Amino acid sequence: MGKILAVHSYKGGTGKTLLSVNLASTFARQGKKVCLFDLDFRAPSLFAILNMPNAECWLNDYLNGTCEIDRVLIDMSNKIPGNGKLCVGLANPTTEAIRDMSAKDRKWEMRALGRLLSLRNSLLIDKGFDYIVFDTSPGLQYSSINAIVTADIVVVATTGDRSDVDGTRRMLKELYNLFEKKTGLVINKVLDATSLSKRQEMDKKVREVYQVPMLGVVPCFCDILRAEGGLIFCRDKPDHPFTKLLDEMTKKIENNQIS
Amino acid sequence: MTVLEKIRDNLERINEKMEVMIELQKHSGRKDGAQPLTDTPLDVMTLLSMPDHLRKTAMTICRCGRATAEEIAEQTTRARAVESAYLNQLVLMGYLKKERKGRKAYFSADRDTQG
Repeated sequence: MGKILAVHSYKGGTGKTLLSVNLASTFARQGKKVCLFDLDFRAPSLFAILNMPNAECWLNDYLNGTCEIDRVLIDMSNKIPGNGKLCVGLANPTTEAIRDMSAKDRKWEMRALGRLLSLRNSLLIDKGFDYIVFDTSPGLQYSSINAIVTADIVVVATTGDRSDVDGTRRMLKELYNLFEKKTGLVINKVLDATSLSKRQEMDKKVREVYQVPMLGVVPCFCDILRAEGGLIFCRDKPDHPFTKLLDEMTKKIENNQIS
Repeated sequence: MTVLEKIRDNLERINEKMEVMIELQKHSGRKDGAQPLTDTPLDVMTLLSMPDHLRKTAMTICRCGRATAEEIAEQTTRARAVESAYLNQLVLMGYLKKERKGRKAYFSADRDTQG
């Protein structure tokens, strides 16, 4: 059966959406059937990254119970090379929708968790998708924790920022561990990532501070900054080092090389 | 149903109740926030605040939707009696609903009626 990934972080700006879009695209380019969902209801961004301003139904509608998941999914397989399938489900970016989602109560969140959990049956089992990727909002938001509880694997994006390191360490211990989730760490925006001493420093840090498997170390690429979030690397820059890193990360996930 | 079957059913129910009482007794001295509550949604923040032994059971029932203690025990790899006790504790705390169908007791998070 397929797997559900939640891409999460303690702080904003760590590269969750970049990772989510590019991990999903890389899996699709490898021939997999993938669904990518924007679960950042307070600051939706996938619609802008993928240049899809309109949707028949939003993920908000599915979680509200007013439509089924089929009507939320937008097939964008033709934008990815290869024979895979990539569908996306977008969060409604209007101010009204953001306000509405911020005011949900605990009972609604409980039902939303049920709707997310049922995606395992409706998408992975019934429709044969190989991966569902949740792009979440940072920190301890309801929507993010719902995604983490639903997921099989949590991909944690972090940077070298001290407050991020401390917060990430606490989340690993007090959130992912409590829910018994497999967790893989991606350290993003690393300066001098190609030098041996820097790599050794990173390995040591992950071993000692985080105590979880490393999924990847992403150097601070100027091309990523220049792209302003709009690049699908496996399509637009197939020979880029980041594309190769994404290949390595997806292989580790595929081969269960995270615990 | 024959008399023997009725006796067996009753014995099984008595046994189940005793197992629940034993498990509840084990945790009765703990200050782990497991006080009885009513009509409380089983949301993720509640799951986070639960003691570990109950969280595992509660998460499994969230995934299953509706299940017997035996079905939960298969997934958690803990003894059926232990899961039965934890499920009944979650019922007492107001997080789960319990209904009997024949000889089986089904537990659910009751998402449809809690809103």
